[in-house]
Amino acid sequence: MKILIANRGEIAVRIIRACREMGLPTVAVYSECDRGARHVREADQAVHIGPSEAARSYLRIDAIVDAARDAGADAVHPGYGFLAENAAFARACRDAGLTFIGPSPEAIALMGSKTAARQAAIRAGVPVVPGTEQPLDERVPDAEILRIADAVGYPLVVKAVAGGGGKGMRTVDDAASLGAAVRTARSEAGSAFGDTSIYLERRIVEPRHIEIQLLGDTYGTILPFAERECSIQRRHQKVVEESPSMAVTPDLRRRMADAAVAVARTVEYSSAGTIEFLLDRDGAFYFLEMNTRLQVEHPVTEMVTSIDLVQWQIRIARGERLNVDSGRALTPHGHAIECRIYAEDPDQGFLPSPGLIRGLRPAAGPGVRDDGGVSVGYTVPVFYDSMIAKLVVWAASRREAVDRMARALREYQVLGIRTTIPFFLWLMRQPEYLDGRYDTTYLDRLLAERAGRTFSDLTAEEEELTAMAVAVDAYLRLSEGQAAARQVDLQGLWKQAARREALRG
Amino acid sequence: MTFEIAIDDRSRTVSVERTAAGRFRVIVDGRPHDVDAVRAGVFGLSLLLDGHPASSREIQIAPSGDGGSGQLLVGIDGRTVAATVNARRKRRAGAHGGADTDGEQKVVAPMPGRVVRVLVAPGDAVVARQGVVVVEAMKMENELRSPKAGRVKDVAVTAGMSVEAGRVLVVIE
Repeated sequence: MKILIANRGEIAVRIIRACREMGLPTVAVYSECDRGARHVREADQAVHIGPSEAARSYLRIDAIVDAARDAGADAVHPGYGFLAENAAFARACRDAGLTFIGPSPEAIALMGSKTAARQAAIRAGVPVVPGTEQPLDERVPDAEILRIADAVGYPLVVKAVAGGGGKGMRTVDDAASLGAAVRTARSEAGSAFGDTSIYLERRIVEPRHIEIQLLGDTYGTILPFAERECSIQRRHQKVVEESPSMAVTPDLRRRMADAAVAVARTVEYSSAGTIEFLLDRDGAFYFLEMNTRLQVEHPVTEMVTSIDLVQWQIRIARGERLNVDSGRALTPHGHAIECRIYAEDPDQGFLPSPGLIRGLRPAAGPGVRDDGGVSVGYTVPVFYDSMIAKLVVWAASRREAVDRMARALREYQVLGIRTTIPFFLWLMRQPEYLDGRYDTTYLDRLLAERAGRTFSDLTAEEEELTAMAVAVDAYLRLSEGQAAARQVDLQGLWKQAARREALRG
Repeated sequence: MTFEIAIDDRSRTVSVERTAAGRFRVIVDGRPHDVDAVRAGVFGLSLLLDGHPASSREIQIAPSGDGGSGQLLVGIDGRTVAATVNARRKRRAGAHGGADTDGEQKVVAPMPGRVVRVLVAPGDAVVARQGVVVVEAMKMENELRSPKAGRVKDVAVTAGMSVEAGRVLVVIE
């Protein structure tokens, strides 16, 4: 089975690693600016699919299907993002005789609509956050939306029907601010997803984001895994994930797993997928949405269960039966934490910091896994998401995992660009994080309180040390430069001497 | 050799003298240190500092961006700070060219993107690090902040405009 990977960056590298371990040949696709990218160099074959803009390369269904045909690939792995949750892409692969390593186009389409997914959850007997069951398109008048909002109750959240990743999402505290929130959510949703429909959902107070990973095979087996906790979010984007959650007991885990399987059954789900829930402070949980793909944070589940999710996706696509022990999947062994390392400057409000990577030394040592996507000499492009690596650690207990993460972050060197590593080092010292006392609003509140104070705080002694190091470095470069210049002069003198010798001879 | 070293805008006078192979006498704002320094890779420097046993620190010093700005990014135990060598001298040289730009700071687009919102108008008073423009780039909305406290002299863009990297968005005086 030859597999084309319709993605880039760390996830493409992750999938290539799984394929190589299974002895399967791989085909990378790449855009203009990604010619030198790591996934291209590590794959067995590579096909250029277009210019740097994602819309003209990684999002082009025709170009990717053509690339798969040209390369003689049998299957396509979509990774996450780009076309991973695009039902038309899954269908185009199927129509071209390619195995799509993921769920059916029907399951993708149904779960891609937030309102249809909510209805599926309700049919499965799984609680959903109270809200509207029908999409509200642009023809619904403001007065009607106001009336519906009163029925849902405040505070509420306005969400894009086609949404995801926090886009097209607005929190509303009262009726007065509803109109503006609906308008901005519609406009964001329109530009991000091409669909301005929204729906309303009651806002859960102090919610934790807990999700259940699933694997389904093509024979009707659906296997739930121990939960992931993803409540550390900045502006609705996950930045740190862990497994297990400190808020989940074995009994709650069992009930959430049962609920997740029930939702997945309504669409006869196969391959890897994730059911996301909100858990309120009283321990009640509500279905949020289903992601019909591999998640960014899948490694934390792999670390606590020792089950390779990407290899299983491939096995299931090959028609193998899922014969993993269900107790092993649902019983977390130890504790795992993941930090998403972005090319962003945390000291400038997390501004993207694309550019040339001059040096790279990922963390290593006991219990450390680096899912990286870049290498030295690569320029992080401005065209895509700026995540450059996922740093994952495993340890016997949560406390040890936090300490190990702090140690690994301190070791991790990325030179030439700014990254979010200093921010994570700071986060690993926050008392609420250490105690596991946080919800999805925690990080934004904490960052607002800091009011832009920098994360890379040096002690007076460290500042002095840094000044010394920079000065010694400058001194060495200048003297090395002079030595090099002298070397050139010497060569010149040798040549002159040789010429004189020749003339004399 | 004497350098002006600025770290996150705070400047220090540092002189370096080689006393033996790999040994240096470094004086930072009058405070002397004896340092053992060796290269660790292309951008790394391993330092052993005065004391018994010597304390061991590793610092990474690499040019930022294409290197043209002269700014260095310094890594120290997982944290990153910006540093420049002889910045003070450079700034003086710049001031000769046009004294009327002294104290004026420009907020520029760090990458190509689209202006989503303009948060200030000409004449507005701003504090340091206050958000002035929101630019969408790399799939995220990014708030660009004022580098200093002052007054908005000029707003060169409007919401919806596409901007190139380096484009001046707002001028603060």
